[in-house]
Amino acid sequence: MVNNNLVEKLALQVESFQEGFELLSKSFSFLEMVKNFLHIIRGNFIITEIYSFHKLANDSNWSNISLKKIPDPSYSSFLHDSENPSLKYFDDPRIEVSITLPLADKTYLGILIGPKFDKSNFTDFDKITLQILLQVFDSAYKSFLNQKKEKALIFELNERVLHLNNLIDAGIEISRYDKKSDLYDIALARITSMTNASSALIEIVKKSQNNHKRYIVFPTGIDPDKILTSRFKMESSFEHNDRLYNFVLSEKETRHNTTAFNELDKMLLDAVARQVQVSIENQFLNDQAIEKEKMEQELIVAASIQQRILPTELPKIAGYEFSGINIPSKEVGGDYYNCIDLGRGKFAFIIADVAGKGIGAALLVSTLDAALYSYLQFDIPLTEMSDRLNKLIYKSSPSDKYITFFIAVLDSHTGELDIVNAGHNPIFLLRKDGTLEKLDAGGVGLGMFDFGIPFAGQKSIINSGDKLFLYTDGIPEAMNEQEEEFSDERMISFFQNNAHISSQEFINALVNDVKGHTGTAPQSDDITALILKKL
Amino acid sequence: MSTDFSLNSELHDKTLVIKTEGYINNIGGEKIVQEFTKHSDVNKLILNLENSKVVNSIGISHLIEVIEILNQGNGKLVFTNLDPTIEKTFSIMGLFQFAEKADTVDAALNS
Repeated sequence: MVNNNLVEKLALQVESFQEGFELLSKSFSFLEMVKNFLHIIRGNFIITEIYSFHKLANDSNWSNISLKKIPDPSYSSFLHDSENPSLKYFDDPRIEVSITLPLADKTYLGILIGPKFDKSNFTDFDKITLQILLQVFDSAYKSFLNQKKEKALIFELNERVLHLNNLIDAGIEISRYDKKSDLYDIALARITSMTNASSALIEIVKKSQNNHKRYIVFPTGIDPDKILTSRFKMESSFEHNDRLYNFVLSEKETRHNTTAFNELDKMLLDAVARQVQVSIENQFLNDQAIEKEKMEQELIVAASIQQRILPTELPKIAGYEFSGINIPSKEVGGDYYNCIDLGRGKFAFIIADVAGKGIGAALLVSTLDAALYSYLQFDIPLTEMSDRLNKLIYKSSPSDKYITFFIAVLDSHTGELDIVNAGHNPIFLLRKDGTLEKLDAGGVGLGMFDFGIPFAGQKSIINSGDKLFLYTDGIPEAMNEQEEEFSDERMISFFQNNAHISSQEFINALVNDVKGHTGTAPQSDDITALILKKL
Repeated sequence: MSTDFSLNSELHDKTLVIKTEGYINNIGGEKIVQEFTKHSDVNKLILNLENSKVVNSIGISHLIEVIEILNQGNGKLVFTNLDPTIEKTFSIMGLFQFAEKADTVDAALNS
């Protein structure tokens, strides 16, 4: 009969046990769960004094985890150790029940329950209820631990997905940035976040500048030394174009401390560093391609300027025969030649070479050409004209640009030659009898200096059967694949041995000889030559 | 641990608005939790992350703690002024299942 009553009473309590389980299961933390459990016990047995304690597996002392302090240390003596759920009942006005509950995480919960409010003793029903409540707590705590594990697993899984996503996004963002400062900032922010690093930096060492170092840090403002000397750090580096890029992560964070980085962190760091490397390399190649394209465009313009300036047809001079050629190199040099009819049987033969190549050289040739046409209209001495040209070129060109220049004004009636050689290679006059004369009087190249030093002139006469050979350094300096020059000697020898053939044949044969020497080697400079023969 | 993190807060009745600045890492996350727990009767937290562009997992774990505390008391957390990177991060980490987002603090105050 008594048992039947107990069963009935317990059946009525089932709903209350279920509610208790739900309340406990919803607890946010262990402490909150214990707090709620004490509330349940208080409510079930109408108790005012109740204390909870906790201890770890290997701990000999219990820690009071109640909101209320125990009235005096003697209360602790009611606590007891047990490897199984254990309840001890006392006939003591301070504590009536001592509970030890081993928990699923190998820790222990201790509970001390004071007298009931009505001072009555714990009945059998109370004792069974208490046993069941302990089981409810145990189940709820297991459920709580499982939920915690599940949350941790979901968090970890999400974190891995986040890593993957961050890596992909970082790759896209890094490849998109063309400003290196943005590239470094985004890379540092991403890798710091992905690895839970406390801080990070990129150290850029420029080797050719005495290992000069530059640092980019995250978070902004942190002292690089603090990162470089930190206890836990991880590094990844690469080299590109004279620079060493060293990525350093510092202090991996946990909720309570910092720790060493792991293998996954290393993989992530290497991956981000590699993305930055690829981006820098791509940017470098892109810059080079743009520069190359720019140069090619410039060369097209330069070639067009040069071809417009060079004569398409040379004047005919009675009693003389002459031919000229200009073969521009791929890089377009600044070679110039011309024969200008000055009237009254006078003709100016000019050959010049601008130091440098490309559009700058072509524009300087253009300036020279215009100035020559202008000055040659006036019958001023060549030395004075050369001085004026020098001043003009000096003013209109940068310090590294100058022109080697040769001019010979021929009086076709008398064969008189009025000559100035401003820094150009010696020009050769081959006499009918085989004597070779050098025409090199003049001065320095046009535009080199403006010291007011006068140019020296030279007079000569070209007689019947004599030949005047003008050329630029593209001929003697033409190189073959073994980097051997055509040479002055070979050119002079060619001139001496082939002077008897017609001027056009001479030019063609000379070009063939030079090309025969250079073979498959690319032409490195303009080839310009002009030959004048008095019949 | 290093941080450039700072925050300031304003209380509007039972709504706390916290504006952060800098890296939300362990220190940043702890500071947010500390600021939030100073105000026990708050049932809505608006977290203005306009000046925080980087967050790590430890910082997120602190935010989850705040969300859980708020949700227990039927309160809510609203993130505002989110950088697209942070918004994506929170989305992947599942924060928007338990917290809301709004474009601005004003919009969050009226939500």
